Amino acid sequence: MEFPAALFPSYFGAGPPQEEGGPAPVAGWGEHGQVLEAGLGRRQAETTFVPRRGGMGESWEPADAAAVPLLPPNASCWVPSVAPQDILYRGVLRRKLQAGKYGAALDFTKQLSHFFVDHPEDVFGSLGQLLHQNFYLGNSKLRVSVRPAVTMPSPTPPLAAAIPSLCPLSSLQRQARDCTIRMTALREVIDRLEARRSCPRQHLVPRLRWFSHLSRDWLFEVPLGLLADCVHEDLLLQWASLLFDDSPTGGALAWLPPKDVGARTGRLVYPGGQAMNHLCILPCGVSLGREGRGHVALPLADTPDFQDVVLEELPCAQGSPAQFELNGRIRQVAAARVDGEDFVGVRSDYHCGVWSVSGRTGATPTPLQVIRTSVPASCLTVSPHLPGELAVCTQSGAIYLWNVETGLQRLRHDPQTMFFRDDSPWRWSDFTAHPRVLSCADRTGLQCLDTRAPERCHFDLFKVGEEAGCQQGERVVLPMYMGRAYSSQHLVTTQFSVYVLDERLPLVPVLKWAHMMKAPPLFAHLTPGGPGRSHKVLLGTSRTQELLLLQYRGEKRGSGVSVGLGGSRSACQLAGPPQKLHSIASCLQHLPAQLPHRHCLLQQRLGAPAAGLAAALQEDGLRESLLVFQLSEAGDCPPEPCASSQPSPAPQEAKRPEEPCASPQPSPAAALRYRRWMKALSKGCGDPPQRTRPRTFGQKRLFTRKELEEPSAPSTLHGQARQRLRQAMQDGGRIQRWDPPPPALPQPLEPAVGDTDPLSTRLTASWGWDWERWWEERTSFNMAQRQQALRERRRRQKRARGRHSLSASFTSSITYQSELSELSDAAPPPLSPGPPREV
Amino acid sequence: MDGFLEEEEEEAAVAATKKKAAVGSALLPALHLPFLPPHLYQPASSHEYKLNFKKSKEMCLSYIQDAMLQKQWKKAAEFLTFYIESLEKDFSTEYVSPSEMIWRIGTEILCHHSRSSMKEFNSFTEQMKSLGVKRYLKVCLEHTFHLLCNGLIDEAYQNLSLSESWRFGEQTVIQDKEMKLIKAYKGLLDYYNWSKQKNILLEHGQDGFEDLSVEQEMHSYFRKAAVNLKEIIKIPGVWDLFVKCYVDLLEFYGDHNEARQVLNEYAYNSKFPANPNAHVYLYQFLKRHGESKKSLVSALKILHEVVPSHELMIDFNIMLQKSKKRKRRRLGLEVIFAVLDYAGWKENVKAWSCLAKQVKQIVISEKHLDWIQQEWNSRKDWWPAFHFSRYSAKRNWQENESLSYEKALVAGILLGKGCKYFKYVSHQGCKAQVKRFRILKKFVNKHNPVYLRISGLSDCSVQP
Repeated sequence: MEFPAALFPSYFGAGPPQEEGGPAPVAGWGEHGQVLEAGLGRRQAETTFVPRRGGMGESWEPADAAAVPLLPPNASCWVPSVAPQDILYRGVLRRKLQAGKYGAALDFTKQLSHFFVDHPEDVFGSLGQLLHQNFYLGNSKLRVSVRPAVTMPSPTPPLAAAIPSLCPLSSLQRQARDCTIRMTALREVIDRLEARRSCPRQHLVPRLRWFSHLSRDWLFEVPLGLLADCVHEDLLLQWASLLFDDSPTGGALAWLPPKDVGARTGRLVYPGGQAMNHLCILPCGVSLGREGRGHVALPLADTPDFQDVVLEELPCAQGSPAQFELNGRIRQVAAARVDGEDFVGVRSDYHCGVWSVSGRTGATPTPLQVIRTSVPASCLTVSPHLPGELAVCTQSGAIYLWNVETGLQRLRHDPQTMFFRDDSPWRWSDFTAHPRVLSCADRTGLQCLDTRAPERCHFDLFKVGEEAGCQQGERVVLPMYMGRAYSSQHLVTTQFSVYVLDERLPLVPVLKWAHMMKAPPLFAHLTPGGPGRSHKVLLGTSRTQELLLLQYRGEKRGSGVSVGLGGSRSACQLAGPPQKLHSIASCLQHLPAQLPHRHCLLQQRLGAPAAGLAAALQEDGLRESLLVFQLSEAGDCPPEPCASSQPSPAPQEAKRPEEPCASPQPSPAAALRYRRWMKALSKGCGDPPQRTRPRTFGQKRLFTRKELEEPSAPSTLHGQARQRLRQAMQDGGRIQRWDPPPPALPQPLEPAVGDTDPLSTRLTASWGWDWERWWEERTSFNMAQRQQALRERRRRQKRARGRHSLSASFTSSITYQSELSELSDAAPPPLSPGPPREV
Repeated sequence: MDGFLEEEEEEAAVAATKKKAAVGSALLPALHLPFLPPHLYQPASSHEYKLNFKKSKEMCLSYIQDAMLQKQWKKAAEFLTFYIESLEKDFSTEYVSPSEMIWRIGTEILCHHSRSSMKEFNSFTEQMKSLGVKRYLKVCLEHTFHLLCNGLIDEAYQNLSLSESWRFGEQTVIQDKEMKLIKAYKGLLDYYNWSKQKNILLEHGQDGFEDLSVEQEMHSYFRKAAVNLKEIIKIPGVWDLFVKCYVDLLEFYGDHNEARQVLNEYAYNSKFPANPNAHVYLYQFLKRHGESKKSLVSALKILHEVVPSHELMIDFNIMLQKSKKRKRRRLGLEVIFAVLDYAGWKENVKAWSCLAKQVKQIVISEKHLDWIQQEWNSRKDWWPAFHFSRYSAKRNWQENESLSYEKALVAGILLGKGCKYFKYVSHQGCKAQVKRFRILKKFVNKHNPVYLRISGLSDCSVQP
């Protein structure tokens, strides 16, 4: 609680940030920041100094070569996330766009056409049915067999109006022809367009133009303009969340440490299930225990009168580990321990709930209350001071203090940001050292307000501006109360830096460091260190899955040495260099080898953005280990010990950190886990599920009448080909080569001996999969070979002149083919210039 | 080489278009993301394939970064030797120039590399100083810090004197600030030299031996230090170290008025941040010079308003409790209640005993019960859960008996004898046959009506 006797020197300015913000990839290195006298003893011979950054920290080393999965893969969740190439325009127009204005372009037309193709029922449903009769998909001339009310296309209402009730047959015929569109022609036009892909716009065919002009207004179920607006809006949203998604801020993973210091089984709270909408509370530790089935019945509290937030029914627990199904994707899980009881707050977009988990092992988590918000909630934090108290923020700019017993209290409702204008509706709130004072944040800074008089009593804690030496464009990403280390300190991360603030010295950060992470850190976790030890802060990003371990300290110094004046706590310092921990994607290279497409899928899955971060400190005699859990958006749970180490018992005496031996191979236990995880993954969700029933089309719509005409007499060849096709379809395989195994060769059309009909020889060759050679032969390329073959043939013909049987002629042709192929094997013939391809 | 130049031009063009994109496109992220890969917000340049040098530069940098973040300093140093090539054509318009990157990375590696020495560090820094004009002062300052942290104070002083005399064209705002810091740190080192001389002189003075040269040297140090320190503490900022030293100098030479003025300025100038230490220094100064109680109280009262949870508030409460004025005792109660609002004081025996003492006094005298009532009113809805839960009773009893005693006394008075905390602790205390707990139980039982009055129940209930 003591305030440091002296702080590091720093300038204090007011106003907007002066420094120009830019990517500074190494901004966090090489600086001591400032120094402060550490000796404090004026009577000592030499004064010693401590740096703000760069002092010695504890040495932590990764325990394994990569992250190790803790839980089996979330089999039910396999929706690959959107990638930029899905949304962005990458076609012909790219170069054009580049020549003109710069910037990414959303591929709007592609999305819209996907929509038409994927959801035809939704787009054209009823009108398609209505107009069904007015589209003709055949190729032949339109004929109308006039048997009224039986086969005549029932005209659509507007058309029906045009048709007199009683009309002569010829006119009826004409009418029907007039109001029926021949789709085949249209299809041909489209096909031709497809073929000339390079220029989709320039050669608009009049027929198509006419058709689209005619049907644009009424053909679509949803008015096209409206639909386009919606699709475009959604694309923009998708794009925005692809670049930066702040909904998982805070992280959806929490670790509830064991109640007794000696106990080893804590609990992990994480989302699971198909839509990440199951709250799982898993007791875990050295031994993964089992949780009994829990059931919940609790009276609902009174519904308070708030337009924004209403109380809802409570979810029920099911199965083990204790699992609760919620009706929304879990965005954030927050937890705090008050009076030996853990309170877990869960935020989804429109619902927030609070559970209590008592410290006893085997006790079931109890849901306490649920609220529903009309605007998505952006923050939920649990009070570390008072049981059952939480802070909730919504995107409408409202901040509530939520007490399970007394209900909700709205502290502020301001859609505007605090210090300057920023469009982001994101708000955050957390607790402070005073249980009645809440911090509230938006992208521009933090304020503290007294819940007893929120309008009057507040002060600015952090401002994006010159006060904290911010850069232009810098915004608050995640504030966190660090009461477990020092009761009055807060952590604030921005996309550039991480700040430590003290409530007692508002606006001036007591520590600032450029974290150099590739994406804004949305997750943070504090592991307080004991007396004389450094506190460990973990920062995590979502999109890039980065994990960074920082150490800082500001401990009491020289408690034995009485130093004249007042406080003896030293100012906050960053200890040791920051350290990168293994991310989920790092285990990819240690997983068993996969087929390329599976590898790709796996890569995609493991590379999914991170959704949460938690850590557990385990002490085992002198050896301490820090288990770091990271959760991915695909619901793959938390890979296990990321960092573990033997910190030297006295950190002050820590020697220079040794170069960590980069162990390229994971331990056998880890390898086993990888294998198990892979097995479970391939079992649970190997390939994305196929459509249950493939769509079938009537062939009559696809082929013209002429094409469908049965040959007058189906030959044996026909029959055999059909049989093969059928066989292949039954087996689900495909016909790779038309040349069947030698004994099952189809009987070719019987060529009369000496028949030199070129067509039949060509067909024979093509059936025998030697068509190319035949062509070469034809084009007289391999003259020598050809002559040789001819000589051979002549010799054989001479020999076989006696027996004029069909089979004999066939075998001879076989030998001829095989001989030829042997020859070609010996010396590959040069390619003939552009033989026509086999179709 | 021509190819390189072309590439550089290309690079510049890309950078320019990036800026344009930042202005024009609506597809930019809501938050300015410094490290967003450009392919995410702009179509690939047609000349992208040409920018091989840039690409390999970036790749090399990311390797270095990875190695450093994994504490593989040797590997990072090897990569850095390759990266130095990027200096050869450092015409880029990037925000951070390669030379600055090399300085930062190199310094960090040399700080952690197992085989680096101070000599190497110095020569590297000297090279880096000559590499960039813009950063000269910053590099000097950091070099000084490094020397200071390694105990090389004389070298640091030399370094500061050298950089103090550096001139190059017109100074930017940042350079101006850095120059002032350099001077201030020089002043600080002068101060340490002064105090060394002073100690020598004091020791020798006791022996009856006076050295004129030492004294003169000391005075010259004083002048140098005073000029520089005075300069920096005029500028708004956090200058705890400098202010303390400057005040010490002034006090030694008997210039109390100037010292008081400096401290007043530091504490009460609104342009300065609300630094609790500024108030503490002023209070300590006043106390040292035996100022009147009134001025001490007013100094601490302001500190109480700025930081109600400051550790000096305990002293303040003790001082106020002793006072004969009613108003001050009232303030004392307010102060100690405010201190105990904060989580950091939750288990502080000293604070609890102060409160218990004052509350007990008020209850016994039966005067000013309304003070307690007023303080209690804004706290009665959350103090019971915050301080007086059954769980904390158990824990306090196990961990700190005297804390539980003080708290039980307060709980018994504020919440009555039925309060969970009081019941548990007094029960345990009586069971353990501790005398003071028995007395406590008697006391609370006797004064139970007070609780009724404080909680406003006395009007509707019959007093026993």
